[in-house]
Amino acid sequence: MLDSVTSWASECSTCVVDFATSQLGVSVILAAVVFGAMQGVVSYSIYFERKIAAWMQDRRGPNRTGPLGLFQPIADGLKFVFKEDILPNHVDKVLFVLAPTLAFIVAFIGFAAIPWGGQLQIGDRLLNIQVANPDIGLLYLLGVGSMSVYGVVLGGWASNNKYSFYGGIRATAQMISYEIPMGFCILVIVLTMGTLRLENITLAQTGYWANGLIPQWNVFLHPLAFLILFITVLAETNRTPFDLAEAEQELVGGFHTEYGALKFGMFFLGEYAHMITSSAFIAVLFLGGWHLPFVPWAQPEATQWYAVLFKMGVLGAKICGFLFVMIWLRWTLLRFRFDQLMRMAWLGLIPMTLALFLLTVGLLYFDKHRSPVWALGGNAVILFVSLAYVAMSSKPITGRQTNMPVISEREFGGSQAEVSA
Amino acid sequence: MTSEAAYILYVVFALGAVGLYFLLPNPGRKSAGVGAALGVAAVGALLVFLSQKIGGRGEGSGFFYLFAGIAVLAAGRVVTHRRPVFSALYFVVSVIAVAALMVLQEAEFLAIALIIIYAGAILVTYLFVMMLAQQSGSPVYDVRAREPFAAVVAGFILMAAVAGRAGDLPEAKRPATIPVMQTHTPDGLAPDDLAPGESALGESTLGDPVEFEMESHTLSIARVLMTKYVVVLELSGVLLLVSMVGAIAMSRKVVPVDPNRPAPTPLGEVGKSVEPF
Repeated sequence: MLDSVTSWASECSTCVVDFATSQLGVSVILAAVVFGAMQGVVSYSIYFERKIAAWMQDRRGPNRTGPLGLFQPIADGLKFVFKEDILPNHVDKVLFVLAPTLAFIVAFIGFAAIPWGGQLQIGDRLLNIQVANPDIGLLYLLGVGSMSVYGVVLGGWASNNKYSFYGGIRATAQMISYEIPMGFCILVIVLTMGTLRLENITLAQTGYWANGLIPQWNVFLHPLAFLILFITVLAETNRTPFDLAEAEQELVGGFHTEYGALKFGMFFLGEYAHMITSSAFIAVLFLGGWHLPFVPWAQPEATQWYAVLFKMGVLGAKICGFLFVMIWLRWTLLRFRFDQLMRMAWLGLIPMTLALFLLTVGLLYFDKHRSPVWALGGNAVILFVSLAYVAMSSKPITGRQTNMPVISEREFGGSQAEVSA
Repeated sequence: MTSEAAYILYVVFALGAVGLYFLLPNPGRKSAGVGAALGVAAVGALLVFLSQKIGGRGEGSGFFYLFAGIAVLAAGRVVTHRRPVFSALYFVVSVIAVAALMVLQEAEFLAIALIIIYAGAILVTYLFVMMLAQQSGSPVYDVRAREPFAAVVAGFILMAAVAGRAGDLPEAKRPATIPVMQTHTPDGLAPDDLAPGESALGESTLGDPVEFEMESHTLSIARVLMTKYVVVLELSGVLLLVSMVGAIAMSRKVVPVDPNRPAPTPLGEVGKSVEPF
């Protein structure tokens, strides 16, 4: 009896170990770990947002709950959970509940395709530290990002409130417009790398130029595409200066005016999770992912467990850097007016990214697409021409909208005098 | 597949057509329950028929039935729902379910392209227009279907035409297990030693990314598009561009300028003019 129990136990433990060291097991464990860790990171990024804001404004920030206010996210989370869950009478019940759920889920499933730490060797097996390594990882992230607008739009529409509705409409127009330059920036990388698999994009950036001095990160090939991608990511995640969907001064809370308690918390967590996914995405595309030059643990050959942990730390540090810049920008820049936002996308970013795209196609034709001199020179020319065009043109990017149609007497019903009076 | 199978399919489609007819919005009729029952019965019968006749009992077939059922039911709701916003959302559900079916067929590129283009761009634009156009109340063209009988008959004929050709389809050739992608394994470990699921998830080794790309669906579709169908591809791109330019040209209206309007103040100055330094 005892023998059978012990043999069963040992069999069970071996099968557990077998499962944990298979690719599927690693994927499942990584998914659970990343999901849990992300929720912690997300709630603490809200804490750091408040702390950095306080630091920039010469205040102290949250400092009452625990040492240095460190328990503030826990208190906030408890409040989100235990507050009364209000469902207003005038809302569309189904969509009102569905919208924050959608925002939350869409923000979190993007993590599945991020290559976190290269490969791990267990025995004679090499396991990818990546939940899934789809052939189309890059497009998967793009698709998930394009779905993220639904949470905001549906929340705004279902609230049946004019402020929320305007927030949803603004978010839609903004995301549709900024997806175009984002797509072009990603196409530049796809053309340069020749693959859609994020792990391979990382691996292709682990070499060196100039006798091992400069790492082959894409940011040294196309810095302009990197900058524009970062700008579009700010727009896609609804961060300042692109937070028109929730402009407090004009729209109360924008699309989440009617939301409270856990439903608002899900919008909130979803927004920060989206920021983290997008940061990881840029880091993988342009900054070599988990690669760090000259450090042996962050090279693709290092497959020991401590090297994998180190690589995850490197990618995490890059993500934190992006998060800091996003928070920094939020407390530095003013919000765009809506016509400025649209003009920047359609007259500024889209022509520039189109030029970048054509440049990359040309470089590819002459087989110079991995040559930093040509790519950097092309980027500089495009940037210089754009700046010169803006400086020479008679219409400034800011300023009053000049092409608004005149409201004629006929369309206005003859009541213009009353309105102006 | 025999001809009797095609007749079974005709009966199933007729059932679905009658159900759809009762479900189409019509304020005078109170028989939506009958329509729903018939429609669900038709979808269920179709799934049973597929599982019995065409096979598909291999690995992952449960997912096929799940997503196929979701796609068909959501498509039905697209035409039967009274509120256009919900119709658009059901369209999104249908698109995602079809994308899942494509993933099951290992056509990842098509799946994600479908999601990005339809769910991520076109339907967001639809929603945008619907929300702008109609904020409250249901106009008559939303609560009453136009020509429901003709629509249902036309849909039935289309589906029946597909079913009639179903007899010519080859038998399902999909093996019971997912084909193992040719992976590069570490020394001393043959590819056969790996379970199929592991390799399908993408176990690769260092420095050999090319091997994956050779097998990939994306590369093969790109090769076909850029060699055999390159003229068609370019032509469709030009057609889309022309239609876009045409839409912009048609939507630009000349607005008469109000003669009484004061001359616009110089740019960058709000309300009053500022002397130059």
